[in-house]
Amino acid sequence: MDMKRAYYEDIELFKSGTILFWTIVFLIVLFTFPLYLSDYSLYLLNLIMVYIIVSVGLNILVGSTGQISLGHAGFFAIGAYATVLIMTKLQIPFFVAIIAAAFIAAFFGFILGLPALRLEGPYLTIATLAFGLAIMHIIGHTPFFGGRAGLSAPTLDIGIPQIGLSWILETVMSKYYLVLAFTIIMVLFAINILKTRAGRAFVAIRDSDIAAEVIGINLTMYKTLSFALSAFYAGIAGGLFAFVLGFFDPFTFNLILSIIFIVMIVVGGLGSVMGSITGAALITYLMYDLFKNVGEVPFVGSLLIKVSEQWMTITGMDNFNYIALGLVMIGIMLFEPLGIFGAWIRIKKYWKTWPF
Amino acid sequence: MKKVFIGFMIISAVLLTTMLVYAAKPGFDDQEIRIGQWGPQTGPAAPWGSVARGSKLLFDIVNEEGGIHGRKIRYFIRDDQYNPSQTMAGVRDLVDRQGVLAFVGGVGTAPGVAVQRYLQQNKIIWVGVCTGAKSFHVPHNPYLWNMWPAYDDDASVIAKFLVEKKKFKKIGMLYQNDDYGLDSMAGAKIRLKKYNMELVAAVPVEPIERDLTSQVARLKSAGAEAIIGYVAPTQAAIALRNAVSVGFHPQWIHSYNLTDYVLMNTITDGLWAKEGVMTSAFTEDIFANTPLQVKYRAAAKRLAPTERWGIFYAAGIIVAEPLVYALKKVGRNLSTEALKNELDKVTNFQGIGPKLTWRADNHRPPRALRIWQSGPKAEVIVLQDWTENELSTY
Repeated sequence: MDMKRAYYEDIELFKSGTILFWTIVFLIVLFTFPLYLSDYSLYLLNLIMVYIIVSVGLNILVGSTGQISLGHAGFFAIGAYATVLIMTKLQIPFFVAIIAAAFIAAFFGFILGLPALRLEGPYLTIATLAFGLAIMHIIGHTPFFGGRAGLSAPTLDIGIPQIGLSWILETVMSKYYLVLAFTIIMVLFAINILKTRAGRAFVAIRDSDIAAEVIGINLTMYKTLSFALSAFYAGIAGGLFAFVLGFFDPFTFNLILSIIFIVMIVVGGLGSVMGSITGAALITYLMYDLFKNVGEVPFVGSLLIKVSEQWMTITGMDNFNYIALGLVMIGIMLFEPLGIFGAWIRIKKYWKTWPF
Repeated sequence: MKKVFIGFMIISAVLLTTMLVYAAKPGFDDQEIRIGQWGPQTGPAAPWGSVARGSKLLFDIVNEEGGIHGRKIRYFIRDDQYNPSQTMAGVRDLVDRQGVLAFVGGVGTAPGVAVQRYLQQNKIIWVGVCTGAKSFHVPHNPYLWNMWPAYDDDASVIAKFLVEKKKFKKIGMLYQNDDYGLDSMAGAKIRLKKYNMELVAAVPVEPIERDLTSQVARLKSAGAEAIIGYVAPTQAAIALRNAVSVGFHPQWIHSYNLTDYVLMNTITDGLWAKEGVMTSAFTEDIFANTPLQVKYRAAAKRLAPTERWGIFYAAGIIVAEPLVYALKKVGRNLSTEALKNELDKVTNFQGIGPKLTWRADNHRPPRALRIWQSGPKAEVIVLQDWTENELSTY
């Protein structure tokens, strides 16, 4: 139904005036959020956007290139630690530090991409899993990185304080705009890169790496590039996360987080930027907000607490968090294997021909 | 691109409907006082989650007795899975949307550090963070009142007891390689220096290590007669089994975090009681027959029959006690400032926890600890009553 008649139609960002209009409206809404949302909601939005950046990056690797990584919490940690350490130990401005940190993460991504040339499926999964865990423990072991006690982020100064140009972001609101700007740039970048030679090479590798090699795609280059690119995203997100939270310790970046990242893109829809965004937003919102507050919802809350105390453990409500998250995933896998993105395609098709 | 845009719309619709304008509420009204706590109810640190549920017991008792000056306590627990980003989300949620007057307890150093500045800036009362890390009382935080003794005070009292009362000459140390272990080692070293002694061996353990044979062997070859342990419960158990299996029977003495003798005895298959392991402690014995303990145990049986009556559960009561005491003293005219003033005036208050004295410029935890030993049935034997660390550096 989305028939393309020319190459330029395929790569253009806004396919019609309507879309352009609504995108602008949506951006305006995003920019006005701080006017009517509480600090808590902005904090949650900040977290959501950080996770959006990670999952957009992860989806390039998993969804588009067909590789897998259970070690993304490791890249995320590298981004957070490198940004803060470069800023505090080397006295380098924030923007330089976060880009440098992302490149460090990308370098590690490249390294991790090398075994991916020979490993596949479960073997690659284990290699990346080991990487994620190793990063967590190496950081915990090393006093230079703050050890197990963790690190506090310095004051967020996005100017260049070294030459007297200070621009300090203290409030959640100001951080919101910073994270929003990064998110928009990173999302646009991802949408665009998938339409370039590299993006098409990724998809070709996913569909069949032998066929891709036969038609002249350099597997070594594109597989490692995919890992590096994905790690770069996680690095940027990590750097932002450090300041959204203000404090972190190695345990923050544990295996569960890596798995949650995968959950986000699977729920959202593999191989689509849109899917990563919706998935990250939905899962973060469910995990951090809705499921935590279910106990206070009238009637349903007290009923669920009773059920939980009666049939499950005394911990009560909080078991529900995991169970509900699990149910959401199983439900999506059963009924909508393409994730939220797949559901959207179906809805769109349905309305195209409605009411017939 | 249309997909991108529709997706955006869906998200924003969901978020907007659920997150719309919640004006920050004060922490109380005429009917209720709202109090919160975070703690790992799920995830790897879940066993410590009972602290948050223990506080609930005390608040339930207070509510049963008619509340505090006509107001009931409404208590919120937020599961943070021991993950600072979740702690931050939960705390912000409670402060912004529910409106809480105070937090009690809160397990763990990392989650606590993550929210410390936020709570201080928003002038939220916080009583009894459940860790002995120094960063919570140095520098002084006017809105945080501490109860957990600092680890270096703890180790210092232990070392004093070993040298002065038990006359041990060769003392070794098994410590966790992070702040918990390193703070306490510093305390022990300062104390031993006073007697011109040194640790015969100080052996680090990583928190994830499960094979402690080499550590135990090093302690054995150093000829340690007594070993001060600053490790997690699992590792204390592994080290004990290991030592016994190689015929090494030093006097083990652990930090106050391992005072759940029933639990420890179970996971060591009875070795805990057999070897007469000692610990420091900063609470009453939770199985003692003091009026308060009897009352709490009876209430627990009635209100929370599925909970195990253990030290972590009791710790929840301990952190909530001074807050309830201060709230009662404030009277009907409640405000954050009034509550702060009452907490600043707490003098020699004692529930089932340590004896507390706070002043406006001093919210330090108590420096006095006791020494316990496990009896043959894993019951508590008090070897030495409250002893203050006179060498305390702050």
